[in-house]
Amino acid sequence: MATRSTRRRTTKAAARHHRHGSGRCLKILRELSAYIDDELSGTICEEIRRHLGACPNCEDFVASLRQTVALCRNVPAPHLSAIDRARMREAILQAATAR
Amino acid sequence: MRRTTPANPQHGPDRKPAAAWLDFDQLYRDNIDLIHRFANRLCGETEAAKDLVQETFLNAYRGLKKFRGDARVSTWLYTIASRACLRMRRKRKGEPDRELSLDEFVPTSDGEFRLQIPVEGLSPEEMLQNKELQQALETAIDKLPKKYKMVLVLRDMEGLSAKEVGAIMGLNERAVKSRLHRARLFVRRELSARGVAAPEPDRPNEHHE
Ligand SMILES: [Zn+2]
Repeated sequence: MATRSTRRRTTKAAARHHRHGSGRCLKILRELSAYIDDELSGTICEEIRRHLGACPNCEDFVASLRQTVALCRNVPAPHLSAIDRARMREAILQAATAR
Repeated sequence: MRRTTPANPQHGPDRKPAAAWLDFDQLYRDNIDLIHRFANRLCGETEAAKDLVQETFLNAYRGLKKFRGDARVSTWLYTIASRACLRMRRKRKGEPDRELSLDEFVPTSDGEFRLQIPVEGLSPEEMLQNKELQQALETAIDKLPKKYKMVLVLRDMEGLSAKEVGAIMGLNERAVKSRLHRARLFVRRELSARGVAAPEPDRPNEHHE
Protein backbone atom coordinates (compact mmCIF):
# COMPACT_ATOMS: atom_id res chain seq x y z
CA MET A 1 0.00 0.00 0.00
CA ALA A 2 2.52 2.55 1.20
CA THR A 3 4.87 1.94 -1.66
CA ARG A 4 2.27 3.07 -4.14
CA SER A 5 2.02 6.59 -2.74
CA THR A 6 5.18 7.65 -4.50
CA ARG A 7 3.81 6.93 -7.96
CA ARG A 8 3.00 10.35 -9.23
CA ARG A 9 4.65 10.74 -12.56
CA THR A 10 2.48 12.35 -15.15
CA THR A 11 2.92 9.75 -17.84
CA LYS A 12 1.68 7.09 -15.50
CA ALA A 13 -1.13 9.35 -14.33
CA ALA A 14 -2.30 9.82 -17.87
CA ALA A 15 -2.28 6.10 -18.43
CA ARG A 16 -4.31 5.57 -15.29
CA HIS A 17 -6.94 8.08 -16.38
CA HIS A 18 -7.36 6.52 -19.66
CA ARG A 19 -7.96 3.16 -18.15
CA HIS A 20 -10.31 4.44 -15.56
CA GLY A 21 -12.72 5.66 -18.19
CA SER A 22 -13.20 2.08 -19.28
CA GLY A 23 -16.53 0.34 -19.00
CA ARG A 24 -15.09 -2.23 -16.65
CA CYS A 25 -14.15 0.42 -14.07
CA LEU A 26 -17.56 2.03 -14.26
CA LYS A 27 -19.31 -1.28 -13.91
CA ILE A 28 -17.27 -1.99 -10.82
CA LEU A 29 -17.86 1.44 -9.35
CA ARG A 30 -21.56 0.60 -9.34
CA GLU A 31 -21.03 -2.51 -7.25
CA LEU A 32 -18.55 -1.27 -4.71
CA SER A 33 -20.83 -0.77 -1.73
CA ALA A 34 -22.29 -4.22 -2.23
CA TYR A 35 -18.72 -5.48 -2.57
CA ILE A 36 -17.47 -4.02 0.68
CA ASP A 37 -20.68 -5.06 2.45
CA ASP A 38 -20.09 -8.60 1.26
CA GLU A 39 -23.39 -8.90 -0.56
CA LEU A 40 -22.19 -10.15 -3.91
CA SER A 41 -21.97 -13.68 -5.21
CA GLY A 42 -18.62 -15.42 -5.24
CA THR A 43 -18.22 -15.12 -9.00
CA ILE A 44 -18.75 -11.39 -9.08
CA CYS A 45 -16.52 -10.90 -6.06
CA GLU A 46 -13.80 -12.83 -7.77
CA GLU A 47 -14.20 -10.78 -10.93
CA ILE A 48 -13.94 -7.55 -8.96
CA ARG A 49 -10.96 -8.78 -6.99
CA ARG A 50 -9.19 -9.66 -10.19
CA HIS A 51 -9.87 -6.22 -11.62
CA LEU A 52 -8.67 -4.50 -8.46
CA GLY A 53 -5.42 -6.41 -8.66
CA ALA A 54 -4.86 -5.06 -12.15
CA CYS A 55 -6.25 -1.53 -11.79
CA PRO A 56 -4.53 0.67 -9.19
CA ASN A 57 -7.13 3.41 -9.58
CA CYS A 58 -10.00 1.16 -8.67
CA GLU A 59 -7.95 -0.34 -5.88
CA ASP A 60 -7.33 3.12 -4.43
CA PHE A 61 -10.96 3.95 -4.90
CA VAL A 62 -12.19 0.91 -2.99
CA ALA A 63 -9.72 1.59 -0.20
CA SER A 64 -10.95 5.15 0.10
CA LEU A 65 -14.59 4.04 0.11
CA ARG A 66 -13.85 1.52 2.84
CA GLN A 67 -12.14 4.21 4.85
CA THR A 68 -15.10 6.51 4.40
CA VAL A 69 -17.50 3.87 5.70
CA ALA A 70 -15.16 3.00 8.58
CA LEU A 71 -15.03 6.66 9.56
CA CYS A 72 -18.82 6.99 9.49
CA ARG A 73 -19.15 3.91 11.68
CA ASN A 74 -16.82 5.36 14.27
CA VAL A 75 -18.03 8.91 14.69
CA PRO A 76 -18.35 9.36 18.45
CA ALA A 77 -21.87 9.83 19.82
CA PRO A 78 -22.72 13.28 21.15
CA HIS A 79 -23.03 13.68 24.88
CA LEU A 80 -26.35 14.45 26.53
CA SER A 81 -26.08 15.82 30.03
CA ALA A 82 -28.43 14.71 32.80
CA ILE A 83 -29.73 18.27 33.04
CA ASP A 84 -30.58 18.47 29.35
CA ARG A 85 -32.16 15.06 29.52
CA ALA A 86 -34.43 16.13 32.36
CA ARG A 87 -35.15 19.49 30.76
CA MET A 88 -36.24 17.89 27.51
CA ARG A 89 -38.48 15.46 29.32
CA GLU A 90 -40.19 18.34 31.10
CA ALA A 91 -40.72 20.23 27.86
CA ILE A 92 -42.16 17.16 26.13
CA LEU A 93 -44.58 16.37 28.93
CA GLN A 94 -45.64 19.98 29.12
CA ALA A 95 -46.34 20.07 25.40
CA ALA A 96 -48.10 16.71 25.57
CA THR A 97 -50.49 17.74 28.29
CA ALA A 98 -51.03 21.28 26.98
CA ARG A 99 -54.24 20.40 25.24
CA MET B 1 -33.58 -2.46 23.53
CA ARG B 2 -34.88 -5.97 22.94
CA ARG B 3 -37.89 -5.41 25.10
CA THR B 4 -41.04 -5.40 23.04
CA THR B 5 -43.96 -3.18 23.80
CA PRO B 6 -44.50 -1.59 27.18
CA ALA B 7 -47.35 -3.35 28.98
CA ASN B 8 -50.51 -2.93 26.97
CA PRO B 9 -52.56 -0.11 28.37
CA GLN B 10 -54.96 -0.07 25.43
CA HIS B 11 -56.71 -3.24 26.44
CA GLY B 12 -59.69 -2.74 28.67
CA PRO B 13 -61.12 0.52 29.86
CA ASP B 14 -57.98 1.69 31.59
CA ARG B 15 -57.25 4.98 29.91
CA LYS B 16 -55.98 6.82 32.92
CA PRO B 17 -53.18 9.20 32.05
CA ALA B 18 -51.09 7.67 34.81
CA ALA B 19 -50.57 4.52 32.74
CA ALA B 20 -49.39 6.53 29.77
CA TRP B 21 -47.06 8.51 31.96
CA LEU B 22 -45.53 5.42 33.36
CA ASP B 23 -44.96 3.91 29.95
CA PHE B 24 -43.74 7.16 28.58
CA ASP B 25 -41.18 7.57 31.31
CA GLN B 26 -39.78 4.19 30.59
CA LEU B 27 -39.82 4.79 26.87
CA TYR B 28 -38.01 8.07 27.37
CA ARG B 29 -35.43 6.68 29.77
CA ASP B 30 -34.62 3.74 27.54
CA ASN B 31 -34.46 5.62 24.27
CA ILE B 32 -33.52 9.24 24.84
CA ASP B 33 -29.84 8.60 24.15
CA LEU B 34 -30.64 6.77 20.96
CA ILE B 35 -32.97 9.45 19.62
CA HIS B 36 -30.72 12.28 20.75
CA ARG B 37 -27.82 10.68 18.91
CA PHE B 38 -29.91 10.08 15.80
CA ALA B 39 -31.23 13.66 15.80
CA ASN B 40 -27.74 15.08 16.21
CA ARG B 41 -26.49 13.02 13.33
CA LEU B 42 -29.32 14.19 11.12
CA CYS B 43 -29.31 17.84 12.13
CA GLY B 44 -25.91 18.52 13.64
CA GLU B 45 -25.61 19.76 17.19
CA THR B 46 -28.16 22.46 16.79
CA GLU B 47 -31.48 23.70 18.08
CA ALA B 48 -33.04 21.77 15.23
CA ALA B 49 -31.75 18.55 16.76
CA LYS B 50 -33.38 19.40 20.08
CA ASP B 51 -36.61 20.24 18.29
CA LEU B 52 -36.46 16.89 16.54
CA VAL B 53 -35.96 15.00 19.80
CA GLN B 54 -38.93 16.75 21.36
CA GLU B 55 -41.11 16.30 18.31
CA THR B 56 -40.26 12.61 18.20
CA PHE B 57 -41.12 11.92 21.82
CA LEU B 58 -44.19 14.10 21.64
CA ASN B 59 -45.47 12.04 18.73
CA ALA B 60 -44.49 8.87 20.54
CA TYR B 61 -46.38 10.01 23.61
CA ARG B 62 -49.48 10.58 21.54
CA GLY B 63 -49.10 7.32 19.68
CA LEU B 64 -48.10 5.17 22.62
CA LYS B 65 -51.51 3.59 22.98
CA LYS B 66 -51.61 2.66 19.35
CA PHE B 67 -48.19 1.08 19.35
CA ARG B 68 -48.84 -2.64 19.15
CA GLY B 69 -45.37 -3.93 19.49
CA ASP B 70 -45.18 -5.53 16.06
CA ALA B 71 -41.93 -3.65 15.54
CA ARG B 72 -39.09 -3.05 17.93
CA VAL B 73 -39.53 0.06 20.01
CA SER B 74 -36.34 1.53 18.57
CA THR B 75 -37.56 0.93 15.01
CA TRP B 76 -40.83 2.62 15.84
CA LEU B 77 -39.04 5.64 17.28
CA TYR B 78 -36.61 5.87 14.36
CA THR B 79 -39.63 5.90 12.07
CA ILE B 80 -41.31 8.69 13.98
CA ALA B 81 -38.09 10.69 14.07
CA SER B 82 -37.43 10.21 10.35
CA ARG B 83 -40.89 11.43 9.43
CA ALA B 84 -40.62 14.38 11.75
CA CYS B 85 -37.27 15.23 10.24
CA LEU B 86 -38.68 15.20 6.71
CA ARG B 87 -41.47 17.51 7.81
CA MET B 88 -39.01 19.89 9.45
CA ARG B 89 -36.88 20.11 6.36
CA ARG B 90 -38.79 22.88 4.74
CA LYS B 91 -38.07 25.19 7.62
CA ARG B 92 -34.37 24.66 7.29
CA LYS B 93 -31.97 25.99 4.78
CA GLY B 94 -29.65 23.52 3.13
CA GLU B 95 -29.10 21.33 0.15
CA PRO B 96 -32.26 20.87 -1.93
CA ASP B 97 -33.39 17.28 -2.05
CA ARG B 98 -31.85 16.49 -5.40
CA GLU B 99 -31.11 13.07 -6.84
CA LEU B 100 -27.51 11.92 -6.87
CA SER B 101 -26.39 10.15 -10.02
CA LEU B 102 -23.54 7.67 -10.13
CA ASP B 103 -21.91 9.53 -12.99
CA GLU B 104 -21.03 12.48 -10.83
CA PHE B 105 -18.87 10.28 -8.64
CA VAL B 106 -16.55 8.99 -11.32
CA PRO B 107 -13.15 10.50 -10.58
CA THR B 108 -11.77 12.60 -13.37
CA SER B 109 -8.34 13.55 -12.14
CA ASP B 110 -5.49 11.75 -10.56
CA GLY B 111 -5.77 13.02 -6.99
CA GLU B 112 -9.39 11.94 -6.63
CA PHE B 113 -9.03 8.23 -6.18
CA ARG B 114 -7.88 8.32 -2.60
CA LEU B 115 -8.72 10.33 0.44
CA GLN B 116 -6.46 13.31 0.91
CA ILE B 117 -6.25 12.68 4.60
CA PRO B 118 -3.58 11.32 6.87
CA VAL B 119 -4.74 7.77 7.52
CA GLU B 120 -1.78 5.49 7.11
CA GLY B 121 -1.67 2.89 9.81
CA LEU B 122 -4.36 4.51 11.94
CA SER B 123 -7.59 2.95 13.15
CA PRO B 124 -10.77 4.91 12.39
CA GLU B 125 -11.01 5.96 16.04
CA GLU B 126 -7.49 7.30 15.93
CA MET B 127 -8.17 9.10 12.67
CA LEU B 128 -11.21 10.77 14.16
CA GLN B 129 -9.16 12.23 16.96
CA ASN B 130 -8.01 14.60 14.28
CA LYS B 131 -10.66 17.26 14.87
CA GLU B 132 -10.22 18.72 11.43
CA LEU B 133 -11.03 15.36 9.92
CA GLN B 134 -14.04 14.83 12.15
CA GLN B 135 -15.26 18.27 11.16
CA ALA B 136 -14.71 17.55 7.48
CA LEU B 137 -16.64 14.29 7.78
CA GLU B 138 -19.54 15.94 9.55
CA THR B 139 -19.64 18.71 6.97
CA ALA B 140 -19.64 16.16 4.17
CA ILE B 141 -22.50 14.20 5.72
CA ASP B 142 -24.39 17.39 6.38
CA LYS B 143 -24.16 18.36 2.71
CA LEU B 144 -25.97 15.22 1.61
CA PRO B 145 -29.51 15.68 0.38
CA LYS B 146 -31.74 14.60 3.23
CA LYS B 147 -33.09 11.33 1.90
CA TYR B 148 -29.55 10.11 1.27
CA LYS B 149 -28.32 11.39 4.58
CA MET B 150 -31.02 9.46 6.42
CA VAL B 151 -30.04 6.20 4.81
CA LEU B 152 -26.34 6.74 5.50
CA VAL B 153 -26.98 7.72 9.11
CA LEU B 154 -29.30 4.79 9.79
CA ARG B 155 -27.17 2.21 8.04
CA ASP B 156 -23.55 3.24 8.56
CA MET B 157 -23.78 5.27 11.75
CA GLU B 158 -26.69 3.74 13.66
CA GLY B 159 -25.73 0.32 12.36
CA LEU B 160 -29.15 -0.91 11.21
CA SER B 161 -29.61 -3.51 8.50
CA ALA B 162 -30.78 -2.51 5.03
CA LYS B 163 -34.05 -4.26 5.80
CA GLU B 164 -34.62 -2.23 8.95
CA VAL B 165 -33.75 0.98 7.15
CA GLY B 166 -36.26 0.05 4.47
CA ALA B 167 -38.97 -0.53 7.07
CA ILE B 168 -38.26 2.84 8.66
CA MET B 169 -38.18 4.81 5.45
CA GLY B 170 -40.83 2.91 3.52
CA LEU B 171 -38.38 1.68 0.88
CA ASN B 172 -37.47 -1.71 -0.47
CA GLU B 173 -33.99 -3.03 0.25
CA ARG B 174 -32.82 -2.36 -3.27
CA ALA B 175 -33.69 1.30 -2.99
CA VAL B 176 -31.97 1.50 0.39
CA LYS B 177 -28.79 0.01 -1.03
CA SER B 178 -28.83 2.24 -4.04
CA ARG B 179 -29.21 5.36 -1.91
CA LEU B 180 -26.60 4.16 0.53
CA HIS B 181 -24.10 3.62 -2.24
CA ARG B 182 -24.62 7.11 -3.63
CA ALA B 183 -24.43 8.64 -0.18
CA ARG B 184 -21.14 6.91 0.55
CA LEU B 185 -19.73 7.95 -2.81
CA PHE B 186 -20.76 11.52 -2.09
CA VAL B 187 -19.04 11.58 1.30
CA ARG B 188 -15.99 9.85 -0.12
CA ARG B 189 -15.72 12.46 -2.85
CA GLU B 190 -16.08 15.32 -0.38
CA LEU B 191 -13.28 13.90 1.73
CA SER B 192 -11.09 13.28 -1.27
CA ALA B 193 -11.67 16.70 -2.81
CA ARG B 194 -11.23 18.70 0.33
CA GLY B 195 -8.08 17.34 1.90
CA VAL B 196 -7.33 17.40 5.59
CA ALA B 197 -3.88 18.16 6.85
CA ALA B 198 -2.22 15.96 9.40
CA PRO B 199 -2.01 17.69 12.77
CA GLU B 200 1.74 17.22 12.68
CA PRO B 201 2.88 16.50 9.16
CA ASP B 202 5.61 13.91 9.25
CA ARG B 203 6.69 14.53 5.70
CA PRO B 204 7.01 17.62 3.52
CA ASN B 205 4.01 18.50 1.38
CA GLU B 206 3.84 16.47 -1.73
CA HIS B 207 3.79 18.38 -4.94
CA HIS B 208 0.24 18.71 -6.21
CA GLU B 209 -0.23 19.71 -9.80
ZN1 LIG C 1 -10.59 0.02 -12.72
